[in-house]
Amino acid sequence: MISLRAVTLVYPNGTRALDAIDLEIAKGSFVFLVGHSGTGKSSLLRLLYREQLPTHGQVTVDNVRVERLRRSKIPQLRRNVGVVFQDFKLLSDKTVWENVAFALQVTGARTKDIMRQVPRVLDLVGLAHKSRMFPSELSGGEQQRAAIARALVNNPKILLCDEPTGNLDPSNTNEIMDLLHRINLKGTTVLIATHNALVVDRMRRRVIRLEDGRIVADEERGYYHAANAPADADLPLVRS
Amino acid sequence: MDWGRLRFFFSEVWRNFTRNLIMQLTAIGTVAVTIVLLGGFLFTRDTLGKIGDDVLRKIEISVFLSDAATTAQADSLIAKLRADPRIASVVYVPKNEGLRQMRERLRGQIDTSLLTSNPLPDALRVRVYNTDRVRDVAATIRRQAYVANVEFAQDAVQKLLRLSDVLGRIGLGIVTLLILTAAIIISNTIRLTVFARRREIAIMQLVGASGTYIRLPFIFEGFLDGLLGAALALGLLDVARYQLIPKLVVALPFIPLHAIGINEGSFALELLGVGAAVGIIASWLSVGRYLRA
Repeated sequence: MISLRAVTLVYPNGTRALDAIDLEIAKGSFVFLVGHSGTGKSSLLRLLYREQLPTHGQVTVDNVRVERLRRSKIPQLRRNVGVVFQDFKLLSDKTVWENVAFALQVTGARTKDIMRQVPRVLDLVGLAHKSRMFPSELSGGEQQRAAIARALVNNPKILLCDEPTGNLDPSNTNEIMDLLHRINLKGTTVLIATHNALVVDRMRRRVIRLEDGRIVADEERGYYHAANAPADADLPLVRS
Repeated sequence: MDWGRLRFFFSEVWRNFTRNLIMQLTAIGTVAVTIVLLGGFLFTRDTLGKIGDDVLRKIEISVFLSDAATTAQADSLIAKLRADPRIASVVYVPKNEGLRQMRERLRGQIDTSLLTSNPLPDALRVRVYNTDRVRDVAATIRRQAYVANVEFAQDAVQKLLRLSDVLGRIGLGIVTLLILTAAIIISNTIRLTVFARRREIAIMQLVGASGTYIRLPFIFEGFLDGLLGAALALGLLDVARYQLIPKLVVALPFIPLHAIGINEGSFALELLGVGAAVGIIASWLSVGRYLRA
């Protein structure tokens, strides 16, 4: 589903954000991308939705060579890749319903599809009852759920999350991770960049660790800190 | 037809349009001033052209025959001139008729009863088909026998044509500058709207809206600025047409203002088209540059 081959990203100021990255992520995976701030997690995500072009190497997303993509084809890629950010990026003058519908309206969806899709995703993220509220009337966790609903409303195959719980308290963090897990169970590939060790260690999913733009560890059912697994690692975060 | 899509599009346009009302009004006002001046320029150019045509149509060559010419010789000269394909008409004005016409023309200005003898020669008034050939025809006539003198209003016509030409160039220059100014102001207005909506644009790009879809409301906003400005200008020009021109016609009776046959429908459409085109092109360039970056 996602493949990076010898990908290097050097910013114009000379910063080497990514260095010879090789990575394969299978369809339907749930993957954590961990590492300290500035190790290249966000840069790697940006390559996947073509916000950034690699300096060298190949980036393939859903069989599309992203670095070769013509400008006019970028919208098509982005409808297949939902993105969620730490700061939610909701439009403050639109209600939850309008924020979610906006993603469909601007991609030219028909009204009847909008009327069908928006309630479906709002139901999925548990915000159906708050659809008429504005972002400022919601808690941080609810705002992030609205942002996830917007990212999902186009039925993307991949969901990229850049520090999705960075602004949330532990209780909201758990709710969001629970939601992302459920989305993954429906078949969406989920890639989460985070430095929240607690979340990573409780979920026990594939963990790719970046340091100075290089992959230094890649483990199935990994921990945030590879060598010293924390004591509470077995506590399930996701209530099944 | 999906009315929901259309409603969404126009609600976006309306939000853009009302977000920066002062700037929109500035843009519309600039377009209006430009179009009023363009209309005024076209009107003046048409009027001068009309006057020039009028004078040219009336231009005639006065041919004065020598006193030695007999009636038969004059007749033969007239026949010869009438055979010339460049000449439209030849009118024979005998000296008595010439004097009568002069007395008529000068009545009340000079006491013509003081003229005891007739100082005028027999004359011919010649008109040509193509006014560009006046000079050639005059030269040809001058070479004929029994022709004493040939005159025509060459200088006056040439000055008028030169004036019309110079005014045309100056007017075109001013209108071009004004159109550029209007385009720059519209372009800045649109850029402000784009800037005010940068978060929405970023989200549109993130969720996969096409470039055209993102641009279209802004282009339409520019189109509206241009169109409304041109419509305002047409209103002002209409006021000028019905309030000002009748007064000018009374004040300047020698200028054939009333004769200007502007086709109002197509003239209005042209001006609206210019306004709309300036708006569309300016906003297209402005949005295009922002979204590429």
